[in-house]
Amino acid sequence: MSRFQSQSGEGAPDRESGTELGATPLLEEVLQIGQVRELAASLRKLSGLSVLVRSSSGATLLDSSDDGSLDQAVPADASESIVERPSGTSFLVTPIMYDHDVIGRIAVGPVAGDGDAAASSAPRLGVEQARAHLDHFRLSLDLILHSAQRAHFASTMHLAAIEESYSELLLKNTALEAAHTRLKEIDHLKTSFLATVSHELRTPLTSIIGYSEMLSEGMVGPLTGEQLEYVQTIRNKGDELLRLILSLLDLSKLESGTLQMRPLAIPIEAVLEDAVSTLAPAAAKKGVRLRYVSGAGAEPLRADPDRLRQVFVNLTENAVKFTPKGGEVTLQAREVDALAPAEPGVILLAPVRRELEVRVADTGIGIPPHERARIFDPFYQVDQSSTREHSGAGLGLAIVKRIVLAHQGRIRIESNEPHGSVFIVTLPIVGAPASARPRPPDP
Amino acid sequence: MQLDFSAREVTVKLVYYGPALSGKTTNLVSLHERAGDEARGRLMTLETKNDRTLFFDLLPLTFKSETGDVRLRIKLFTVPGQPVHAATRKLVLQGADGVALIADSRLTETENNAASFVDLRDNLKANGNDISRMPPVIQFNKRDLPDIRSDGELEQMATRGRELVYLGVAKDGVGVLETFIGLLQLTWLTLDKVHDLGRKLRVSGDALLASAAMQLGATESVETILGQRLGGQLAPVVTDALPTSSARGATSGGRS
Repeated sequence: MSRFQSQSGEGAPDRESGTELGATPLLEEVLQIGQVRELAASLRKLSGLSVLVRSSSGATLLDSSDDGSLDQAVPADASESIVERPSGTSFLVTPIMYDHDVIGRIAVGPVAGDGDAAASSAPRLGVEQARAHLDHFRLSLDLILHSAQRAHFASTMHLAAIEESYSELLLKNTALEAAHTRLKEIDHLKTSFLATVSHELRTPLTSIIGYSEMLSEGMVGPLTGEQLEYVQTIRNKGDELLRLILSLLDLSKLESGTLQMRPLAIPIEAVLEDAVSTLAPAAAKKGVRLRYVSGAGAEPLRADPDRLRQVFVNLTENAVKFTPKGGEVTLQAREVDALAPAEPGVILLAPVRRELEVRVADTGIGIPPHERARIFDPFYQVDQSSTREHSGAGLGLAIVKRIVLAHQGRIRIESNEPHGSVFIVTLPIVGAPASARPRPPDP
Repeated sequence: MQLDFSAREVTVKLVYYGPALSGKTTNLVSLHERAGDEARGRLMTLETKNDRTLFFDLLPLTFKSETGDVRLRIKLFTVPGQPVHAATRKLVLQGADGVALIADSRLTETENNAASFVDLRDNLKANGNDISRMPPVIQFNKRDLPDIRSDGELEQMATRGRELVYLGVAKDGVGVLETFIGLLQLTWLTLDKVHDLGRKLRVSGDALLASAAMQLGATESVETILGQRLGGQLAPVVTDALPTSSARGATSGGRS
């Protein structure tokens, strides 16, 4: 622990490490000059003497003479006890000690020299009296320095202790980083395993789909009605399997956080209109009214457009699927204030914490409250019976929820009275700084 | 909070929080100028230059009760707002009895204000406290500048939250006393409720506050000063779980 060893007495103190134990600090580092100024002012009042305090670094810390004359009069290297100027005025000089090191000098004056008494009209103190005042001033300064030294010492110890715990933390950090790197390697292995497996599953599947397509299109000769029906079933099931594999792959990437999001500033209207037009044919076929109610012009979101589209296409698809003929599915977006009424700091946080709320409402069969939390679990189906009316692997909502979470959003379900459900997706608006926008009046 | 029965003295730690350059130190300097010789201590700025920089201002204030036998000592700290001084903010916040957040009214600072509030909330939590147990008194400073959040908006928002909200121009001393007295009153009410200070010291909180205001050169009544707030609740903040620091402080009577 070399830094705890005293460096004083071994040539010049190490200025680079002025806060370390044993090193002699600069006078300007340990002295609160405001306190000394008060002391100098009181000496001036008492005796008419001005005071100069100068650090060994050469810096003048204080000159209580009105015009800075003391600073000019006392040479930078003055060390003798009396400095006499050619003009006849004299100054007394004494060193400031710190742990036996000279760290600065004090000069007082002007004092009456031998030939001075007649020359000056102002009454001046003699050398003896001035010397007594200088000694008193130095003693007071010593006391100030002493307490400064104590504080300096205490804070140095304190900092040394922090440094110790800091190096301990560094060691622990290194160990943690090593463990983290290893975990990342394992995670990487898992991801590449998944990618490989999905590739190996998809390649033969593509052939199955491709060949059954060629068969059904009669490229190798006409098929009988029954043959065509079988081949088309193979193709449809192949497509279904492909979608399932892609969904599984998405889900595993979302779970491991390796799904690449490409956030762009996108208007939510475009995403919702796209979802509506994608599902319009399916809704029309089923006799369900599907519409997007345009809200007040919301700020653009920063989100991955493809993934966000996936969310709302999926939610809308579900809504249409579970809404009977003659029912209605409505998409609606609006900007909301993200804070609870009693949340602390509302006056500071409200302008920067605004969210976009998208509601996908249907008039379908509804979801019982106790099912609402579980519905986002992978493979979960509300209707678990083997003869259930609606198909699907139960991955859609699991993926939706994870995409929303990956955008720092939330999703929840409410009832759509008198029947049906509302899926409410809330996404943070993190685009342009809130401060640059005029705030719309609260309703 | 420290309670010294033998000296009949309460020491309260208050912290002025806020983003960089919002006027925390200006508030302290203004209070220092206002305070009479008997009340004010030396305004100290501590800055250590090390890899862990510690950097803060401290203004000690001492208020005597009217009869002079009870002393309310305030240790008023500021924290540096710059993100780099996170360690100092956390350290200075330890054991605080009350916090004021000095916000910059300019629209361009809205996000820095919010970030500072979130930082305060997180640091209180890290120190085992909670923002709901220590709602900051909020001062919107720099009301004299252009492009600021409007009076109307702040008034409307202030009625929504429980925090006391004040407007200020700290460089001209406007709102400085109001913010401080609001913080002192809120802190006293809370400490009194939790530790029964008024009864233990046989002193009236209202009288103590009035004499503190007087020693800070107030010419108007405390009622008038407290009435300057835009909104918020001036009532003790008491929740089921006591802040651990205060609970510890209560048993440490005798220290000074």
